Amino acid sequence: MRRALLLTLLAAACVGPTDDPSQVVDLRVLGVRIEPPEVMAEQCSLDDPLKLFATFNQELQVTWRIADPKGMGRAIAYEVRACADQGDLQCNNEGEFVVLGKGEAHDGELTLPMRLGAQQLADKFLLQGVLEQDTFKGLGGLRVPIVIHLTAGTEDVYAQKLMVFSCRFFPEMKVNVTPQLPGMTLDGKPWEADAGLSLSGAGPFVMLPVDFTDAEEPYVVPSLKLEPVHLVESWKIAWYATAGKFSPNETGGVDFSGLSERHRTQWKPKSDDVEQDVRFTFVVRDGRGGQSWLERIAHWAPDGGTP
Amino acid sequence: MRLLAACLLVLGLPAGAYEGAKVVEVDAGVHVPVLTKAPELLELVDADYPPDALAQGLTASVRMQITIGADGSVPDAEVLEAVGHGFDEAALAAVKRFRFSPAELDGTPAAVQVEYTYHFVLRVADAGVEPEAPDAGQDAGPPPPNAKLLGRLVSRGSRTRIEGATVRCTNQPDLIDALSNAEGFFELPLHAGPCAVQVVASEHEPFLTTEKLERGEQREVVYYVRPKTQGYETVVRAEREKKEVVRRTLDRNELQKIPGSFGDPVRVIQNFPGVARAPFLSGQLIVRGAQPDQTLTFLDGVEIPILYHLGGGPSVVNSEFLDRIDFFPGGFGARYGRAVGGVIDVATRKGATDTYHGVAKIDLQDTSLFFEAPITDSVSVAAAVRRSYIDALLPLVLPKDPEGGSLLILPRYWDYQARADFGGKRGEPTRSTGSVMAFGSDDALQLVATGGGRNRDVNVDFHTTFHRVVGTWNYREGNVSLKTTPYLGYDLGTLRFGASSVRADEYEVGLREDLAVEVNSHLTVRAGVDTVFDRIAGSAELPVLSGNQYVPFPGAEPKVESQRVARQLDSFDGAIFLETDLKIGKLTLTPGLRASHALLDGQTRHAFDPRLWARYELLESTALKGSIGLYTQPPSATDMEPPPFGTPSLTHERAFQSSLGVSHRFTDYINVDLTGFYNRRFENVSSPGPTVTNPDGSVTSQRFANDGLGRAYGLEVMLRHEVSKRFFGWVAYTLARSEERTAGSDKPYVLTSFDQTHILTVVGSVRLPYGFEIGSRFRYVTGRPKSPLVTGYDEYRADANSFAIKLGASRSARVKDFAQLDVRIDKTFQFDSWSLGLFLDVQNILNIKNVEGSFYDYRFRQEYEVPGIPFLPILGVKGSF
Repeated sequence: MRRALLLTLLAAACVGPTDDPSQVVDLRVLGVRIEPPEVMAEQCSLDDPLKLFATFNQELQVTWRIADPKGMGRAIAYEVRACADQGDLQCNNEGEFVVLGKGEAHDGELTLPMRLGAQQLADKFLLQGVLEQDTFKGLGGLRVPIVIHLTAGTEDVYAQKLMVFSCRFFPEMKVNVTPQLPGMTLDGKPWEADAGLSLSGAGPFVMLPVDFTDAEEPYVVPSLKLEPVHLVESWKIAWYATAGKFSPNETGGVDFSGLSERHRTQWKPKSDDVEQDVRFTFVVRDGRGGQSWLERIAHWAPDGGTP
Repeated sequence: MRLLAACLLVLGLPAGAYEGAKVVEVDAGVHVPVLTKAPELLELVDADYPPDALAQGLTASVRMQITIGADGSVPDAEVLEAVGHGFDEAALAAVKRFRFSPAELDGTPAAVQVEYTYHFVLRVADAGVEPEAPDAGQDAGPPPPNAKLLGRLVSRGSRTRIEGATVRCTNQPDLIDALSNAEGFFELPLHAGPCAVQVVASEHEPFLTTEKLERGEQREVVYYVRPKTQGYETVVRAEREKKEVVRRTLDRNELQKIPGSFGDPVRVIQNFPGVARAPFLSGQLIVRGAQPDQTLTFLDGVEIPILYHLGGGPSVVNSEFLDRIDFFPGGFGARYGRAVGGVIDVATRKGATDTYHGVAKIDLQDTSLFFEAPITDSVSVAAAVRRSYIDALLPLVLPKDPEGGSLLILPRYWDYQARADFGGKRGEPTRSTGSVMAFGSDDALQLVATGGGRNRDVNVDFHTTFHRVVGTWNYREGNVSLKTTPYLGYDLGTLRFGASSVRADEYEVGLREDLAVEVNSHLTVRAGVDTVFDRIAGSAELPVLSGNQYVPFPGAEPKVESQRVARQLDSFDGAIFLETDLKIGKLTLTPGLRASHALLDGQTRHAFDPRLWARYELLESTALKGSIGLYTQPPSATDMEPPPFGTPSLTHERAFQSSLGVSHRFTDYINVDLTGFYNRRFENVSSPGPTVTNPDGSVTSQRFANDGLGRAYGLEVMLRHEVSKRFFGWVAYTLARSEERTAGSDKPYVLTSFDQTHILTVVGSVRLPYGFEIGSRFRYVTGRPKSPLVTGYDEYRADANSFAIKLGASRSARVKDFAQLDVRIDKTFQFDSWSLGLFLDVQNILNIKNVEGSFYDYRFRQEYEVPGIPFLPILGVKGSF
């Protein structure tokens, strides 16, 4: 009872943050998609690393979903780097990064092609550096950090995405493919991209993705004892909107006991929101590096407005 | 007016005092004697009534503390509360000429100190006595009594029998006074007619009433005599031998009335020097910089797995059962081991030997019952039970789910204690005493959230329980004492989370032997054995563990195969210890050694812990003291499992502890203790351990490593007013620093998360007339370390969909200092055979805005404070008989 009383008191006394992850109000990176999300070599030997790295040197298309809802289309300076240390969230450790591109971006998507297999650090291949710094010495694949640095006005954002290079340790291992949400429903009805949907009132509005269970891939990874471990993807969806907020703001995945979570969420406008077009972004992750997003726009008005 | 009697003397050693010294202890290798026979007054000397006081018609009661020697003489006496008018001097002069039968400790005559009250009473003849007609032929003299008053004296409100009280008819001065026996019975022959009954008993108000008896009548009465202002009980206890540099001992009176502790005695320890303040109401004990699990808790010498229900709730022992708590912040005796922090030893008490008593306590979270009774002259029992009902009340206040889901939060706990004592028949010498104590505790927490709009059904069921049966046999002959303590234990821990479950059944059998031999006045030897065998049968249904069994990828955890794990782990830890007290003049040296052999999950570990204590009696009331020694704590057998569940190569955690201090006694009640300490812990278990690539390419991810280093140093001051009739309290201050780092790394020491530079606690409690008591506690503590938040940019991990926290130098800042004033008011209503206690415990009466922690927004741009407890009054009720 003391604890319950305490929690009650705390709940009453706490002044918590009003900022919510699902509310996109300033410069953000909502998602990073890499095509392909994984490059798998047929052989795992490091006897000839140059040959292996050459296998990994295929072109990748990296796309960032940059949100800048209040930027009014302003230019956002960006620089993209890759580095050796997964813990280096800015890729700025001296001698351990390469610059892959820089320029200006805007609210929306930014896509850059790149090849990582042949990238070199000061004294070694990038992938060699990644391997040396990996706690598991490549057993989970070589995971190369790709960091984009965005600056606009006073805002300063780094976003890291890992690119996975692996090898076929067991014959049944399959290369990952990017997860794709097949569609979305709103209050139980399909919500097509070109629907021109109008919403009104305080909500809440229930959103559910079209079932994608069959698209969640089974896959195999080596255990620390070098035995095959059979896994099945359990996608997570992060829910974003340029007004109001989602609850919960992320759905899916499995919990500690291995049980899956459903993907039902509610969007509710804030009491002080005004009539506007609201952009919804649904980012899906497959838990092994694959990532993509689906977007919808709806016109929302409060009760008595003009939906 | 005529002077009828110059004095009444009442032995100030009532049953309560006898009970207070009842537990035979071998504590830290030091035998604490038990009073097996109370002294009896053989030769009373009338005091001279001070002439001036007599002329003015003054009366008085002089309360004294007197020393009764082993030969029954009174070599020393002092007045505790001077009353003046010559009464004090007269009483002192009289009692120093008294003769007693010697008191006996463990069956051997010994010197004791007891409290006496010497009453100076003027009596006036009453009219109306029916005189007995003198027989013809006899000399005119007082007629013989022809009626009899038989009665029992009971302390009002508690039903405690009053021993040693004087009963008389003040209007029949020729009669002999009656004295109540140990059961409170008295027998007063008197003359028929009205009798102005007067009862005078130590620590009780005078009791006056009138009885009118017929000739030949034999009347039975029960008198409920009101205790005097219910002053704090004075417990007569042989002086405990000082060996440890610091041992803080709390007696029952101090235990139950500390403000802010909710009447929970065990929480009082958190007000002592050397103990860091744990956040909120957490029960964590952070002693001299050690981790909470490095301080062990014993109940009657047997280790118990948990001290508080549900982590921070009430302690698992009924407060009525407690006799005292010994707290060793460090430098404890060789009798104790398996700990590199401190030790807490909770001692329970024997059941009442006078009559049955009981206590019922009710508050919003639980109800507890306590009962004690004598079975025969040499057997007594006591038992207590407690059950919470939060699980019944909580659903009434939980919000309803508008979407039809259900939410259940069901915390529940219960505990029990039962103890039977045998031997030690009152008033008779005895060599053997024994007891059997059974106790246990059960905690369960179930959280069920299903249906409605939830994406995931949550079903978490957490359950822990433990049971212990402890036997104790004490034997003492001459200068040799032996205590044997066999015990059995069973622990159960289960956790169910959805489809996963973990269960561990633990069976324990142990034996302690404590032998003490006082070879001569210069040499005492203590030795003993401390062994425990433990079997854990563990099983688990778990998903394959990412990170431990395969390399995880940040972000969405996959659906994974389930695995069943079942293991049986046996562990044995046997230790022998030896200590000797060498007294060379004013210097006492106590070298000690504890050697242990452990067989943990099939692996052998040894430890040898030499220790040394020194004490120098600089003055009669001042002593210098110091200690130095090694301490070890074996790893848990479960932590030594093969990866991914443990690290087989784990070995003992170790600590070097040292201290140097001085203690000084200003008066019988006021003393001060100042101790400096330096502790260094090494080979501490840390997690995670290293990840190693094997020659075959496989990878071993160790869960633990022995690479933790820690050091703590500081100064502790304890200014204490011992329990007196009306007041007790203390001022505790700690100036300390505790740091840690990882061995083998080039990183310097950083503050531990619980480092608190200044810890000041002031506690006081005073008894007031009319059953009121008021206590207060003030605490000031330096804020705990934290790492400052770095802002100005965001770092986003796109795979995990999470932002990184950006912190400055590790623990280079602190949360706001903590200050709080708590007040507790008790009021006791006394009825004839029971009493009712009400208490109001107000936490943070000044409503100071404290900070207990911090949290952040999802991008870690801003830090938000978690506030401490606001003004919080708690009301409780307690009935006892």
